[in-house]
Amino acid sequence: MTGRARLTASAAVAALAASCSMLPLVDKTTWILQAAFLLALQSTAGVLARRVPLPGPVTVAVQALTGLLLLTVAFAGEQAVAGLLPGPEAFHEFGQLVQEGAEDVGRYAIPAPATAGIRLLLVGGVLVVGLAVDAVAVTYRSAAPAGLPLLALYSVAAGLGQDGRGWLWFLAAASGYLLLLLAEGRERLGQWGRVLSGGRTAPPAPGPTAAGGGRLARVRTGRRIGALALGIALAVPAALPSMQGGLFEPAGRGADPGSGPGGTTSVKPLVALQDSLNQPENRELLRLRSSAENTRDLYLRIVALDRFDGAAWRTTERPLTELPAVLPAPAGLAAGVRTSRVETTLTAAGGYAQNYLPLPYPAEEIRADGRWRYEPEGRVLEGERGQTTKGVRYQVSSLQVEPTAAQLAGAPAPPEEILRAYTQVPSSLPEVVAQTARKVTAGSANAYQQAVMLQDWFSVGGGFQYDTQVASGTGADAVARFLKAKRGFCIHFSFSMAAMARTLGIPARVAVGFMPGTPMADGSVSVGSKDAHAWPELYFEGIGWTRFEPTPSRGTTPDYTVAEPSPGAEPGGGPERLPDRTVVPPAAPRDTDACPPAQKKLGECRSPAAPAAGSGPASGGPSAGTVAGVAVAALAALGLPLLPMLWRRRVRARRLGGPGTAPAAGAPADAPADAVAAEHTLAAWRELTDSAWDYGIPPDDSRSPRGAAARIVSAGALQGAAAESAGRVAAAVEQVLYAPRPVPAPGLAEDVECVRAGLHAAAGRGARLRAVLLPRSTARLLRGFSRLRSLARRRSAAA
Amino acid sequence: MTTYDERASLSSLTATAERIRGAVEGVIEGKPEVVRLSLTVLLAEGHLLIEDVPGVGKTMLAKALARSIDCSVRRIQFTPDLLPSDITGVSVFDQQRRDFEFKPGAVFAQIVIGDEINRASPKTQSALLESMEERQVTVDGHTYELPSPFMVVATQNPVEMEGTYPLPEAQRDRFMARVSMGYPSPEAELRMLDVHGFVPPLDDLQPVAHAHEIVKLVEAVRTVHVAEAVRRYAVDLVTATRHHPDLRLGASPRATLHLVRAARAAAALAGREFVLPDDVQALAVAVLAHRLLPTAQAQLGRRSAEAAVLDILQRTPVPDPSAQAWRQARRL
Repeated sequence: MTGRARLTASAAVAALAASCSMLPLVDKTTWILQAAFLLALQSTAGVLARRVPLPGPVTVAVQALTGLLLLTVAFAGEQAVAGLLPGPEAFHEFGQLVQEGAEDVGRYAIPAPATAGIRLLLVGGVLVVGLAVDAVAVTYRSAAPAGLPLLALYSVAAGLGQDGRGWLWFLAAASGYLLLLLAEGRERLGQWGRVLSGGRTAPPAPGPTAAGGGRLARVRTGRRIGALALGIALAVPAALPSMQGGLFEPAGRGADPGSGPGGTTSVKPLVALQDSLNQPENRELLRLRSSAENTRDLYLRIVALDRFDGAAWRTTERPLTELPAVLPAPAGLAAGVRTSRVETTLTAAGGYAQNYLPLPYPAEEIRADGRWRYEPEGRVLEGERGQTTKGVRYQVSSLQVEPTAAQLAGAPAPPEEILRAYTQVPSSLPEVVAQTARKVTAGSANAYQQAVMLQDWFSVGGGFQYDTQVASGTGADAVARFLKAKRGFCIHFSFSMAAMARTLGIPARVAVGFMPGTPMADGSVSVGSKDAHAWPELYFEGIGWTRFEPTPSRGTTPDYTVAEPSPGAEPGGGPERLPDRTVVPPAAPRDTDACPPAQKKLGECRSPAAPAAGSGPASGGPSAGTVAGVAVAALAALGLPLLPMLWRRRVRARRLGGPGTAPAAGAPADAPADAVAAEHTLAAWRELTDSAWDYGIPPDDSRSPRGAAARIVSAGALQGAAAESAGRVAAAVEQVLYAPRPVPAPGLAEDVECVRAGLHAAAGRGARLRAVLLPRSTARLLRGFSRLRSLARRRSAAA
Repeated sequence: MTTYDERASLSSLTATAERIRGAVEGVIEGKPEVVRLSLTVLLAEGHLLIEDVPGVGKTMLAKALARSIDCSVRRIQFTPDLLPSDITGVSVFDQQRRDFEFKPGAVFAQIVIGDEINRASPKTQSALLESMEERQVTVDGHTYELPSPFMVVATQNPVEMEGTYPLPEAQRDRFMARVSMGYPSPEAELRMLDVHGFVPPLDDLQPVAHAHEIVKLVEAVRTVHVAEAVRRYAVDLVTATRHHPDLRLGASPRATLHLVRAARAAAALAGREFVLPDDVQALAVAVLAHRLLPTAQAQLGRRSAEAAVLDILQRTPVPDPSAQAWRQARRL
């Protein structure tokens, strides 16, 4: 194989390797074979064109034409002229397919079905990138810039995909690029003549053989460097704790669902709550009316975090479907459990822009305006293409599931697939978590008792404190840290309880949403930003996903966890706490009522869900820090215009301080008295000239003190005492500046004030106002700065 | 440091100067600045060049100044045929003593009035150079000291007048200051007619100070303090003349010396024991302008050397109280 052909093959392989990163985006991977075949043909066309040889642009055109023909045959064969040549119909077909593909991309979750449109986008994209790489690296012999189209291709895939094997695709793409660079290097060397490969082990000898051996050694070194760089690029981020996602950090995908091609999959859950926890005011986000007799169990779910990777709880990406008229029955709910149907009408505030629809669980029918898609596993509604809750009014029919403790206690083992999916804990989870879980639930008879014991241990018996000021924490050991520190807010409690439940083999996930809101006088319920909350959901066969409430002083404890207290609960735990917690009313000022005095800190009882990540300013109120920042900024904006005045006043006070008060600026503390007096005289003079400047008489450097004073007197229309005062100050300055032994002049500060008063009296109203608010002499600041700058520049030049 | 004696001599200086000024102003009506400048040059041990058209009182000013001081006065009328020996003197062979005897020229006086100096040839004008600068005359290898105080007050007509030679640069540089008389105001001219219409004005003028008093005054002037800032200011001004676009010849270092000396005298006349930048500013045109040569473009544009000096005065910053003075204050 010639160097040029090897280079061509390397370019094609590099493009294909980068394209592999798009494999997880589509459910079937056969498209890559098609793309590889077509790319090979396109590259062959390039090889032939270069062998003729054709000029570079013509070569690229030939390849592009080949690619077009290939795509025509593959995707628009029926519309093509003679089955090969693209005519108007074929282009029309291409347009249709591209449009369909774009719509499909927006419609389907990852992995998307390989529809014709998506296939065309993928194969066509690979051909275009392959053409670009081939043209840059082979036709124009510059392999390094060919990395850019490869990077673009990889970035698209990396931005969309989230399958946890990103490193593999990165390895493939980077290896392809390195291969390309290597091939180019060899081809470049080959142009100098044949590479002689003698002396691989022989000692270096003079002559071309040794040179050839040296080149080979360099090639080997280059390979090693490439492999090492790749290894470091993969290993270092994994080893650095700071680059790990935090357990209590916002979970979910990188793409902003509000701005991306909406709804390709689920979630970017919103657990970045720390900021919203400290917002000073409770803004209403939702107003609802419900047919339920008691709304205290009316939790509104936004999203469910079901994947625990040790660093964070996240949502698993699942395909979204059309919103069915009637939702399927909730998973695991058997007929014997008592349920009641609840009709709820909700209206989201205009300032609440969340791209998940808050729903009671489990909803059965949803009538909502807008483009909403349904994720069946989590029973979540996600806005499509920027659809948000902003101002949306919707009706929900949901079930209020009221299991008994006996039903829960007697629940059979969950199905295998649920157990497999929802009891996974990462190996990095510290052992102390499972140990604590076992210790807390010691003596329990079944999963239900374990769950209740965990809940009670967190909320009452474990000595935990609700504290929104605690950092959310990062890394796999964040749960362990929380268990030790015993301070946190709802995210800590819900994440930890769910993790501990999983270690006990109970399927668990974390729901994010709102606690029941505040009943209003007109019968409606107001849900505010302070009602944002997170809670664990545990799965019991026959009942389904069941809510628990481990967070102290927040929300309402479900009846089924208190009505029939389990015998033999953990020591010192449950018996006395249960009645108390159930009476927490969801009534008006929740924070003050629900929280014990010790926890009445502002913002203490609010939490997560509201801040729909990046879904707009209304998705959550500003945090205290933000408010403080805004306040400071506003004060600064208001105070900024006053700065010149304040600076001027300060400077005047300092200059006219007088010899008796404090040494003037710049005077050494042990300076002789006459030196201090001299400095005060000069300061007074400076103040006099600056005052005149403020009133519109600019300083004139070419004038002596006497001349300047005369000018101030004439230009400022000073008369009588003011004129005499100006003369006295000038005379005093002359003494200081020019006399062999200056005669101190007392009362200069008064003289300056007298001149100032005279200038003020003679000036017009506008000039007076300006002299006070916007004194011209503040320009000295700028002069000083520029002088300092030029001085520094001179010094650096001299250095 | 100024002592009591110095202050006393300064006060006596001002009193004496006031007497002289009053006497001269009795003759020269309406020209107090010119009279004051003449006195300043006298006390600063300089020489004065009075330039103006004929008939405005140039010679009268020179004579009045000389007459008001009780000292020897000589007048030289410069003409094209005047010889250098007429000024400096000549050695004549004495038959009896069989030796050369020096006959002093007109320059041997305490105040020498050179009338219409630019009517003499440059060679004759140059005869004044040594006497003016070094206050001595060398004839036939013998050097003769000139009396003290010694002052040359020369008058000249503007160069454009007929029969005049321009003064050489070296000659002009010897004069500390040049002053223009200018026409008197109509009131002053009318008063002149009333007072001096029939009697020659100099006839009534009596000496009001003795020569040795002037010597003392000159010594007192030397004690006047010149701060570094003022010295620097003078240097800045003179340096600026060497770079001004309208000037092809700037002022010499001698001009700087003259400027500071004149400023000292002006401060002393004002009763001050230290020089102000104002003194320098007030004297800059008189001391510098006659030494400068405007460029051809400036002459075509009718921009005079005086205008250049005024421009320099407006552009050159006076030592800044906030920077240099603070450092100076710390040195106290």
